[in-house]
Order: sequence, then structure tokens, then C-alpha cells
Amino acid sequence: MNVTVKLVGIFQIGRFKEAVCEYPTGTSVQKVVDELLIPDPLLGIVLINDVHAGVEDLLHDGDTLCLLPFIDGG
Amino acid sequence: MKSRTSDPAAEPSSVLYTRCTVNLKSGTIHREDVPCRNLEDVLGGFGRSFQILAERNISQAYCEENPLIVNTGLLTGSSAMTGLRTYFSGYSPIKASKKGLPGAMWSTGSGNFGAKLKWAGLDELIFEGRSATPVYAVIRETPDGAQVELKPADHLLGLSTHNKMMVLQKEYANAHFATIGQAGEQWENVYFGAVGLSTDNQLKSGEDKMRFAGRGGMGSLMGYKNLLALVAQSPDKIKPLSPEIRDVNINVVKGGGAARLQPISRGGGGGTWAAYDVLQAFHAVPVNNFRPQGNDLPEQLFRERVEKQFIIKSEACYRCGITCHNNIHEKKEDGSAGAFLAKFDYEPLNLLGTNIGIHDAGQAARLIHLSDNYGMDSISLGVTVSYLLSYNERHPEKPLLNGATFGDFAKIEELVIQAGEGKLPEIGRGSKRLSESTGETSYAYHVKGLELPAYQPETNPGYAWAIAGGHMSMATYGMLTREGKSDMESWVEGITQTKLQIVGFDMIGLCKFFDITKGICTQMVVDCLKSELNLDVTTEALAAAVRRAFLRGLALELRQGYEKEEYTLPAEVWERPNTNIKLPNITSPEFIAELQQRVWEIFEPQLARLLPDS
Repeated sequence: MNVTVKLVGIFQIGRFKEAVCEYPTGTSVQKVVDELLIPDPLLGIVLINDVHAGVEDLLHDGDTLCLLPFIDGG
Repeated sequence: MKSRTSDPAAEPSSVLYTRCTVNLKSGTIHREDVPCRNLEDVLGGFGRSFQILAERNISQAYCEENPLIVNTGLLTGSSAMTGLRTYFSGYSPIKASKKGLPGAMWSTGSGNFGAKLKWAGLDELIFEGRSATPVYAVIRETPDGAQVELKPADHLLGLSTHNKMMVLQKEYANAHFATIGQAGEQWENVYFGAVGLSTDNQLKSGEDKMRFAGRGGMGSLMGYKNLLALVAQSPDKIKPLSPEIRDVNINVVKGGGAARLQPISRGGGGGTWAAYDVLQAFHAVPVNNFRPQGNDLPEQLFRERVEKQFIIKSEACYRCGITCHNNIHEKKEDGSAGAFLAKFDYEPLNLLGTNIGIHDAGQAARLIHLSDNYGMDSISLGVTVSYLLSYNERHPEKPLLNGATFGDFAKIEELVIQAGEGKLPEIGRGSKRLSESTGETSYAYHVKGLELPAYQPETNPGYAWAIAGGHMSMATYGMLTREGKSDMESWVEGITQTKLQIVGFDMIGLCKFFDITKGICTQMVVDCLKSELNLDVTTEALAAAVRRAFLRGLALELRQGYEKEEYTLPAEVWERPNTNIKLPNITSPEFIAELQQRVWEIFEPQLARLLPDS
């Protein structure tokens, strides 16, 4: 299945801003995060098709997955 | 702090803190050891100062009965990482109910002043009355304990926060400083004066890299008292690092706590500036007075753009491994770092940048530099200026002041300078008063008289219950954006239970970045208290004390005349819903009304018996 992956902020460094990636059916967000070597403590927000989701959620063909860093005010 | 117990929650009166009361009018100085009344007193910060404020009936901030309380937290000056906080409390010149009564307020900052104050032998300083002439206070360690002396400060008059420190540094070795700038000196016309706190980096480099207790006008209150600076002189007295504290500090730096605030070069998120990228993904970066336009304008102040023009240095507070500062320097032709320009944190960068139509990093740095050196709260300054610019945009035929509009750097710079010099009370008295004078209050972005930080109110109805500044005393600012919470139950629980716990950091002496998501009710803090002070405190006792302190703040607001309808957001949020923000709408009048009802149903019964006269 094809999933459009969008990376925000520091996640783009050494990776990409947006790419269409091919994954096996049943791939979870965590699997994508792991493949992209995004450190867990930095992952703040997961959006699937612009809706907040979790790393355990499964992706489907045609989904757009957006991974964003944590935000901390100060 | 002197402790005759290891169980301060059960026996708070067996813990005594050292307080010095300085009457600025008479010059009398009295030092005493005061037994704690409860665990909030033991923890310190606003947990203690608000109990003192609650004992006074103050109807205007600028009066001799309004004290300025300067204190520390239990872990200030300890070997626990980030233990550098100093707290300034009093009835605020800028935070006020519609009835006109001043709200109690605290503000806090790092820098080394708080640790030096504690090492000099004091936990708390209370300044009463008002000096007839400008003075500064020197706190020294002596064989007889801490000694406080008032000295003439005419030579400091008219100097910036930074320059006051530079002058004092020549006279006092091994000392750190808390100063006001020209804005605080002009307290009649500037209600949001900040207190600058010196840092080691600043004193060594001569660069103006201060920290600030910015919110609520504690610098203006200091100015009213004719108290221009504080000097704390003492040798450093950090205990040798115990294995327990070493483990905690490693966890702070490398664990989940603050890892994401580390520099990008160390695999971190790069400090609070990173919020720009994240919030822009939702078109929720404030633009032109909190009206995001759904375009890419905010991206001009993204870090990746700025570092093409400037050198960004990642630096830290004294002995802190978090290294959250992004200090912006000029880039020389050879690519090396030139002059220091400003520290880019998310709040000042946005509110003195994108939110006033400034998209040039150099211009934003100049405004932040001015705000810091005049000693103004960059949040209140930025939001009041953005209100003015919005008014002028709406009334081109009859603009206010110099007619500045969004993005007009020269005119905005002029406004900031004049405000800092006390020549523009329209700006210096904040957005609440300015909007009341124009009659157009709906787009003045303050809550209860305190300007909002740089998170859209559409994303945070919790602002309404913050007791000392938007995101600093109610950590609901990420609930919608970060956690995706848009249901009523989550918001009621967040406001009334979990997210108010952030104020624990404003008691204990640690910075919020110690563990911003979990607060102080953790095993890490329990371990620090045991190792540093031999105190046994449970996470449950800590949570209960933090909650009581928060509720006391809320009760104090109500006593100062706040009506429940003041616990709301700027009306523009629902009068002109911003469809550019790509998040669920949780600020409809119906949602807010139900939230108010549900939150007060929980809070109200718990407010009894928290204040001396209730």
C-alpha cells in the first residue's frame, strides 16, 4: 500500500519533507517511526489524514501520515 | 531552611525558613526563622508567598502595604539540575479584575541570583513600604547569618537591566544580581516591568544574556518601591553530587523529561523555538494579533531560515545540561559568530515577530533585545503592541499613537523604545486598559488582565483558569494541538486535575523543563528531596500541596473581585471564528459555557477555608 508521509521540523533533517512510501498491509505508525529512526522522546504528534492518532494505529492505502515533534512552551 | 523533622508533610512547623523583612520606608531590617504552616510553605515559591499575600487586603498595587516578596524554592541552589529559580510575588500592577482590584501574582526566572540568595543564608526577603530615594539591597553572608543592607542607587538610575548588572559587578565580586530596567523605573506608565536575573555566562562575557521574571509587572512593583536592584553575595555552596542526584540529573538530560529541548546537534528538538514548525502545521502560529491567515508567513522565522543568516549558539543555564537556549549572533563574513543579538524563545520571537507582522529575524531580535534591556515582559509588550496594530488596521482614518501598522518595523521599534522609557502609557499599561479606552475589547488578547502567550486561544480554553499567566500556570496549551483532545471530559479533567500541577515548579525551585509533562510529583523529585535535604515526601503529598496552592491562588482571585464571567477568552475567538486554524473548534460559546459550569462545579466547593478570612 502507498502512504504519503509528511515530516515536520527537525524530523526533516537527513530525511525528507514529504514522500510517498510503500508499506505492507497492516503496517503501524510505530513501524514507520522505527524505520525512519525517529527517537521516541521527540515524537509529539501523529496525524493520520489530519486527525490525531497513536503510534499503535494501523495505516491504510492512500493515507497521509504526518509526524510532528513535541512542543513544550516556556 | 532548618529542619527538625524528616516528614515535613506531617510536621511542617518543624521546618523553619529564614526570612528577612526590609522596611524600605523606615530602613529597619528584621531577620527571623519562621516555622512553616504547611507543605506549601516548606516547598516555597508562590506556595508560601501567596499565603502571605492572602493575609493582606490590597486595593491597589502601588501602595505601601503591598509587599514585594522575593523567595526561593526548596531545591533552589541544590545540586538538582535546573535548581536556580527565584520567585517574585506581590499584588500585580497589570493583572486586575474588572472591579479594579489587583490580582496576586508571581513571576519566576533562572539565572544565579536565587542560588546566591539561598547560599547567603536567606530563603525569603520581604520588602515593605517604599523608599523615598532610589536604593538597592545587598544580601551578604556573614558569620552571624545573612545580612541585608540598603544602599543609595542614584548611579543606577536610567540604566538598562544589563547595564545595572555590569555596574554592580565591578563593585561586588562573587555575586549575582536582580535588576529592573528603565521600564520598571517608570512604573507609573509601565505596568509590565520585568526583573532581570544575571547569569554566569552574562557576567563572564559581558553580553546581555540575562534571564527574566517577566510576567505580572513585578519589576514595576520593584520600581514603585524605588528598589532598583538586589545583590546576593556568597561563595557557591553546591553540595557534592550524590549518586541519587546524579541519576536524576542524567534522567533529566537524557530521559523523557527534557531530552526534546536539547540542541538539535545532540539529537534534541532544539528548544521552544521548535514550536513554530509544529504549530504552523495546524496554521496555529499567531499572526497579526492572533489571526493566523492559513499561509506560510510564519515559516520566515523557522530556524532553518534564520540559521542561513545568523549564527545560533545552543547554551545553557549554570550547571544545566538541558541547553535549551538559542542565542542568536551576527554571522561574520568568514562564517564565525559576531555580536550577540538576542535569545530566541518561542514566546518573545512570535509575539515580537510574526504576531506583529515582523518576519525578519534581525528585526525581531532587535525588538527582543530592546524589551529585555528596558526590562519589559515581552509577552505583555508584544500583545499590547499587536492590539494597537490591529486597531490601526481597523481604523486607518484615525489610527492611534504613531499610526504603526503590522510589519512597519521603524514605527514598531519607536513604540517599543517609547514604552520602555515610560513615554507611552497607552502601551505600558497593557492591552486590557488600552482596549477599554478604545471601547474595542474583543480583540485584546488577554485573560484577566494578563496578555496571552503565543498559543492561539482557540487551542486553549484552559487559559481562563491560569492564575499567573497563560501557559505558565495552566498547562493545557498542548491539549488540543499535541494530544488531540477536543471532548468536554478531557478538558474538565485537564483544567481541574492534571494540568494545574505545572505550578509545582513555581514552588520548589526547579525549572519546568526538569520534567514539563509530569510536573514535580515524581520519584525524581522525591529522590532529590531525600538526598539533598533528608526529607521524606511522597508524590501524593506533593500533589496535594500543589493543588492546595493552586486553589488558594484561585480563591485569591475571587477575593480580589474577579467574577466568573471573567474566566473566559477574548470574544473575537467566537465572534469571528478563524477557519484557517486546522483543528477542531473547542471555543464555541456553547462549549465555553458548559466548560465554565463544569469546572466551577469542581473547583468552587474546594475553595473554602483556603484564605484567612474565608
